[in-house]
Amino acid sequence: MTEDKILWTAQYVEGDLNEAECLEFENLLTHDEELKQYLADYYDIHSSLQMELANDDGRNKLLDTLQALNQEHFAAEQPKVVKLSSYLRWVSSAAAVLVLGILIWAPWKGDLYEQFNTEPRMNVTERGAEQTDLDKASVLFNDKKYSEAKAALGKLNAADPQNAMVAYYYGVSLIETNEVAKGRLLLEDLFKGESVYRYDAAYAMAMSYLKEDQKTDTKFWLEKIPDGAVQYEKAQELLKKL
Amino acid sequence: MTKKVHEDQRYVTALLNNNVALVNEIYKKSAGKVKSFVLFNNGSADDAADIFQEALVDIYNQAKYKNLQLTCPFEPFLLLVCKRKWLNELKKRSISPVTKSEDDLLHIGEDTFEQAEVLAQQKEQAALFLKAFEKLGERCKEIIRWSMQGEAQEKVAETLGVTYGYLRKKKSECMASLVKLIDRKND
Repeated sequence: MTEDKILWTAQYVEGDLNEAECLEFENLLTHDEELKQYLADYYDIHSSLQMELANDDGRNKLLDTLQALNQEHFAAEQPKVVKLSSYLRWVSSAAAVLVLGILIWAPWKGDLYEQFNTEPRMNVTERGAEQTDLDKASVLFNDKKYSEAKAALGKLNAADPQNAMVAYYYGVSLIETNEVAKGRLLLEDLFKGESVYRYDAAYAMAMSYLKEDQKTDTKFWLEKIPDGAVQYEKAQELLKKL
Repeated sequence: MTKKVHEDQRYVTALLNNNVALVNEIYKKSAGKVKSFVLFNNGSADDAADIFQEALVDIYNQAKYKNLQLTCPFEPFLLLVCKRKWLNELKKRSISPVTKSEDDLLHIGEDTFEQAEVLAQQKEQAALFLKAFEKLGERCKEIIRWSMQGEAQEKVAETLGVTYGYLRKKKSECMASLVKLIDRKND
């Protein structure tokens, strides 16, 4: 019976049933769940196969477009070979000295911070819910308006000091607005607690020290993040680079 | 409950209509990011281009044959599809990636993960169906292959030198055999 239904479904879709048979099929379809499933499966298999087998003109045209754009956007930069005149040679050796100097001076030390400081984002909005003070604070925070976010989160934190999420984002806002000491106190407390923000706090602590190029303290905090925590891989990666 | 279609569906439509200007916009926004991700993870610029193109064709396919309705923004969806593709490719080449997990993607919405997942699943499924198709008899394969070309079925019958009625009958039988082959595999 099952196999008949499969064939029957194929015949229905492919127009191989006469009018009376079609009606019978559609009638049965209204209450036969198995038949409904066969019909859905049939369309699914048919369209998948079509995707694989069709000589699709639109797809061919798109491929042409993509190949042209690939050359424009993915071309590997060709190294240019230029013969150096004696003047250029002099200039380039001077430049080389300069580069060496810069290498030693290394003003991009802050780069690691840029690389590893994932700007956290607050996700608090529930669909359809009314906008609360917390929502407003999160918008400010996500827009990186940290001083305004700090004011809003400060109030919320005062009203509910037990709220770990508020404490965490308040702490980050403090650090971002140069109230580093106060922010660290807050994050340290958070780390000592049991909330889900524990290791977020530890990572934020590490970032605050990394920003000041204080490697020992950065390492100290990174090492507090255990395997299994979300930030673990990133912390380990950074530890290797320090 | 159906979710609202995201306004970025226009990029999907651009792929369907081969709208070069808008497709170029996709490249401008995302190609650089995919390139740096692949370069950072043991790949070349050519690898990045291949992955990017493949991802866009997959999205085209899903839109055309599976009625893809984007409920998340286009760019993170595309980036996620590309990243997964590249990580799979690295697995095939037995190279462990520098970026081990999708940690850096944590800020991406659930919708995006879901849509990328559906895309991957449907692609995998289509490949399985094709394998089953290859097991059919030659005549069945010929009939199905021809009737999938998107041409009018009357014309297909003419090409195959059969009547339209015969084509319908034969195609139904062949497709039913295919469904049974696939069914058995799933059991």
